[in-house]
Parts: sequence; C-alpha cells; structure tokens
Amino acid sequence: MQVKQFIGGIHVPHYKSFSEHKAIKESSLPKEIIIPLVQHTGAPNEPLVKVGDRVKAGQMIGSTDKFVSAPVHASLSGTVTAIEPRLCFTGEMTQSIVITVDEQQEAPTWADVDPARVTKEEAVKLVREAGIVGMGGAAFPTSVKLSPPPDKKIDALLINGCECEPFLTCDHRLMLEKPGDILMGVKLLMKVLGVGKAYVCVEDNKADAIEALQKKNDDPAIMLMKLPTKYPQGSEKHLVKAVLDREIPSGGLPFDVGTLIQNVGTCIAVYEAVRYKKPLIERVVTVTGQNIRDPQNLLVKIGTPLSHLIAQCGGIVARPAKVVVGGPMTGKAQKTLDAPVVKGTTGVVVLPPELALEDMEYLDCVRCCKCVEHCPMLIYPNQISIFCEAGMVEEADAWNTMDCVECGICAYVCPSRRPIVRLVQRTKPLIQELRSKKK
Amino acid sequence: MSAKDKLVFSASPHLKDKGTVSTAMRDVFIALMPVTAAAIYFFRWYAVFTIVVALTTAVLTELLFRKIMNRKPSLNDWSALVTGLFVALLFPATAAWWTVVIATFLAVGIAKELMGGLGWNLFNPALFGRVAVILLAPVLAYANGWLAPASVNLGPIDSITQATPLAMLHMGALDMMPSLGRLFTGFPAGAMSEVSPLLILIGAGYLFYRKHINWRIPAAILGTVLVLTAILGQNPVYHIATGGIMIGAFFMATDWVTSPFTARGKLIFGIGIGVLIVVFRLGLPPTEGVAFSILIMNAFVPLIERRTARPQFGYIKAVPVPMAETK
Repeated sequence: MQVKQFIGGIHVPHYKSFSEHKAIKESSLPKEIIIPLVQHTGAPNEPLVKVGDRVKAGQMIGSTDKFVSAPVHASLSGTVTAIEPRLCFTGEMTQSIVITVDEQQEAPTWADVDPARVTKEEAVKLVREAGIVGMGGAAFPTSVKLSPPPDKKIDALLINGCECEPFLTCDHRLMLEKPGDILMGVKLLMKVLGVGKAYVCVEDNKADAIEALQKKNDDPAIMLMKLPTKYPQGSEKHLVKAVLDREIPSGGLPFDVGTLIQNVGTCIAVYEAVRYKKPLIERVVTVTGQNIRDPQNLLVKIGTPLSHLIAQCGGIVARPAKVVVGGPMTGKAQKTLDAPVVKGTTGVVVLPPELALEDMEYLDCVRCCKCVEHCPMLIYPNQISIFCEAGMVEEADAWNTMDCVECGICAYVCPSRRPIVRLVQRTKPLIQELRSKKK
Repeated sequence: MSAKDKLVFSASPHLKDKGTVSTAMRDVFIALMPVTAAAIYFFRWYAVFTIVVALTTAVLTELLFRKIMNRKPSLNDWSALVTGLFVALLFPATAAWWTVVIATFLAVGIAKELMGGLGWNLFNPALFGRVAVILLAPVLAYANGWLAPASVNLGPIDSITQATPLAMLHMGALDMMPSLGRLFTGFPAGAMSEVSPLLILIGAGYLFYRKHINWRIPAAILGTVLVLTAILGQNPVYHIATGGIMIGAFFMATDWVTSPFTARGKLIFGIGIGVLIVVFRLGLPPTEGVAFSILIMNAFVPLIERRTARPQFGYIKAVPVPMAETK
C-alpha cells in the first residue's frame, strides 16, 4: 500500500546493533522494588496496602475511581516496607510503594479464558484492572483510549511498531519473538473498537520483524505497513499522516481524525490482560549504549531500580557517562540510578564520555534554517528559541510553541547548539498561564 | 556515589549532529578558495596583499569591538575571517589598501558587532563595508591624496588597466568583449571575486554538498536576471557571467543571517534581488549593482518572513471525515 511521507524529519544514526540481535531475557530478582503510584498520564492512585503488609505478585496495590488513570500492582511477592516519596525517572519525587522482595518467588497462576467469548465492555474493564498504559513511552491509560467519546467514530486502528528512537530495540524483539501475541492483541482491539481495518506499522530497517508478523498474520483486515526509516516516524501525528494521510488538528487527538494508535507492546499487554487476566507487572526494557558492558533486552518487573539493570548488564564501562531513560532523542537523563522501571520505560541508554554531552554554552541563532527544514511540525524552532530565551511568552505563543512535540530534531541539528527543547519545555507552562489569564 | 561516578545530566535530545557554526563558516572559507586562488594567479602579490590586509583588519576589529563591548572573543567561529575574505574579494586587487581597511572595519565593527554579533546583523557585513566606501568616496578622495605616498607597488601586472566586461556591456562595446568561454572560466578584470564564475560555481557546489545553502535564492536570482534581460533584448548569458552576480547569488544572498528563513520568502527575496540587479545594470552606472540590490532586499527580510510563514502541521487541511468502513 502506498505510504505518504510526512514533511520534515531526519535520519539519525540508529545505534541499534548493540541489542537488536539479543533475544529477550528475563531479568534477575531485585532485592527491592519501587512502585510509583502514578506511572501514567492522569490521576494518581491511592495505596490499597499499608506498611508491613504481605503482597503477592499481581496483587493490585494502588487504584482510584478517577476515569483517566490506571491502577498499579505488586510485580513480585514481598513485604511493603515503606510508602513514601521516591525519585522517579522524571527527576521528581513521586509517592511510591516500596516492597522488599521475597527471595523465593512462587510462580503466579493466571486464568485462561477464550478471548472470543469476552464482550467489549468486559475487555475494557479487564484492560483497566490490569493497569495497562501506552507502553511506547507516553503512558496514557489504554482503557481511556478504548472508550472514545460516542461522537468520534473510529475506522482505522494503527499499531505502532516503528521504534524510531535510536538505540531502542524492545519493540523490535517483541515483533520477532511474539508476533502471534501482538496479532491476537490487535484483533482484540479491533473487536473492542469495532473497527474493520488495522495497520501494523514498522520502519523498513526492521525487515525481519515485518516478515515475522507476515508469517503469523491470517487476517486480511490487518495490513502490514513498511514505512521509510525516518525520525520521528513513530510520533502519533506523523504516523497517522504517513499511513492514512490524515492530519491530526493542532491541539487534537488521533480520534479527531477517526483513528487510534497502540504500541506493539501494549497489544501484547492487552491480549494477556484479557486472556490470562494478567496485570501489567513486567515489560521489555532495552538496556543498551556504547558504554554498558553487555547490552540486553530484558523482561523486567515494574519497579526494578535502574541500578539493578545496569549491574546485571555488566555495569558502566567508562566515565563520565550519561544514563538516559527512554530513547536518546526524547528521554530523560538521570542524576542517579535510584529511579525504578515504570510501565512506560522503553529503554535505558548508557552513553559514552564522547556522547555524554552536558548543557553547554550556546551561541545566538545564526538563522541557518536547518531546524526549519527538518521540523516535522512545520513550525519555526529558530524564532521560538529566540522568543523563549528572551521570555517573550506572547510572541512564543504566536509562533506556535504549543504545537511543538519536543522530538528534539531542532536541537540535534542546531549548529549554535541552542537548547531549543529545554527552552520550549520551560516556556510551555508560561504560555498556558498567559492563555488562562486572557480568558 | 562519589564525584567521579556522577552522571552527566542535561535536557533532551542527548544526541547531537556534528555540525557547528565554526565548521560551517570554515566551509564557506574553503568554498572561496578556488576563486581566491584564481585571483592570486591573475593579480599575484596585489591579491595576496589585499587579502592579508582585509583578514588582519577583520581579526583586529573583532577583537577591538568585543573588548569594548565586554563580550567574549569569538574568533574561533571563523566569521570574522570569512567577512574579511569576502570584503577583500569584493575589491579589485589593486585597490588602495586603506579603502580595504575602512571597508573591513565597517563590515566587522559596525555591520556585525554593533548589531549584536553574528546572528543579529540585518545587512550582509561584507557588502555593507564595500558599499559604505563607495558612498564615502568624497571623503576617500581626500584621503587618497593624503595617503598616496603610503600606497604599495608590487610590480607590474597586465590586467589592471583593462575595462571590466560589465563596463563593456554597459557601453554596448560588445566587440571588445572576451569570448563567453573565457569570461566564464577566467578573465582578469574587476573585483577579485569576478575573475571566474566557474570557480565560484565550484565553491558553491561544495556549499550545496555540505548542505549549507539552499537552491531557492540562487535559482530565483539567476532565473529572474536571465528572464528579464532576455525580455529586454539583452544577451542574458553575458549578464550572468559578468560582474558580481555569481558571488552575489551563491555566496552573498545566501548568507544565513541576512536571508529569509521561510521557503517562499527565499524565492521572493531572490526575485527581488534579480529585479533590482537588472534595474541597476540597465539604468545606472555599472558599479556594485549586485551589492546594492542584495543590501536593499536585506532590509525587507523581516517583512518577507512575517508574510511567508508556512502553515504548520495540523492547520493545512480541514479534518477529513472518516471514510465508511471498508471490508
């Protein structure tokens, strides 16, 4: 099927070879797990356990009645030793349930129901109870996505297997190793949403993944889409543009153009939630980079501290190092290794001294237009950076700063090394404040 | 965790393209080497002398202004050297050295540093310096007499008394014109940058290859000049091959800082320059028409940019209504 390219974007070196041929391996048991009560976009959970309680793997330990939320579960059996603010990968302190893990873990037993006999409503409820969120990084509660407003008709489901961020290979490995489960998840999602077409989207640098999916695919309603390798192909807006040639309006959501996007990992989680009633307590995390001794794709229990993963992969080779949670274009650098893996953690990238860039001195904009040329949102990062830097909030808004998806291309190409994303992140709340004042 | 084990922290993105302002400016310097070499070949020590004078003045001026304005020296961004070389190449090799000094001083000091440094200047610094000394001609005439003993004589060269092809074109003396091939590959008359359109093109090719310049501005300028001169009954190819059009179109008008950052703006900017060049060429004495044209259009850049901003993502089309379910 003909795929349209989106305008802008850039080829970033892939750096995927470190881990793309490493089969998914189960992580060893950590001594302690930290389960933040908020791991998603939305309302925080209330703890359902107290300090001193024994918890079992898969037990729900935090939930809320709020619609836009997802409950959290104990990922291993153990004893609750603290409920206190702990460091999250974002750098903020987040109320978390700390569990000291039992050395002997009983294998949890899961149900086994025929997904064909589960109704739409039951499926959405199971997805909610399993605490499933978007596993591509944004961590938006999946149950909310599966309950679109009745006036929004959805006719196409997009499954995102692009994995356009350099270094990351967790989705690639899932497509190679569990193509059947992904497709089962896709079928379930199609049924829940009542859509007749699904497009599984994969960048053409992962030909083996496309082949693996093709072999397992027996449903003509599921189309496999080979997309050109270009960052940020996996961005929702750009994926919809490329596959369906529809443009999500500024400030809008995918269902405004009749579509919905799910990550391949989320499909597996949905399938497991419906078939086995298994909550989201583990995920695949790519631990990679030039600066880690033994890069791996690990099946990790949610709440495992980063330090445990790094140690398991042979540790950091050289200092100074930078540890990034998520991909290197949009991920968060860590000051320590104390933060835990959460539901949206796609990877842990350990960059070597030569790539461990600090915020450095930068120059004035020389108007070279490289950011303008590559910006996939077709805005003007050059102007935005100047106005954000000067604190000219109104002008920054006028140049559409709020449309920025923070993909990082502008700062990547900028010859003046301007920290454009940082400036935008700093200014967005100020623009919101200004807009609300004007109202 | 000891200080040694501290992790490096910064905002995303954590990868960085290698290109910097310094490498880009250095690339411009490299791109000017072919035509510089040709100028030195034709004008010998006069060319070397003028270039050295301009480069030295550029560096000293930047140091001086940065010192006065209490800003960190930025010589390592190569921009002073690039401006210096540009100014030198805009002069005939035998120009009085003090004129070159004044032009370079005005270019780097006024047009760049006083405007806020690289990135903030509205006018192309080198062209500003070059044109300023033309406007200052009466003052310089006085200085010429006074400084005449200080002029340098670096020996005879054959080409210095030759009329420029542009003057020949203007006088209608087409029989005096050198052949088009000679004009294109190398003909020693006029400013140093005008000796060989071919070598300018080779330099521009390098800038294209390094992705520093975009096709829009040069194409718009050359296209406009070709079409307009043809309509007006002139030989369009002669117009392209003579005077400062080549260096203007590929090196001056494409200057990052002083050209529009919008795609449509680049076209309008180029067309504007092309029209002005033809007006200057056909209506006025044949001196620095290209320089004036570019400087005039430089002033319009902020206005052009405001009027030509592209529609951003999510604003282009109305939201399509989802299609009926397909089986």
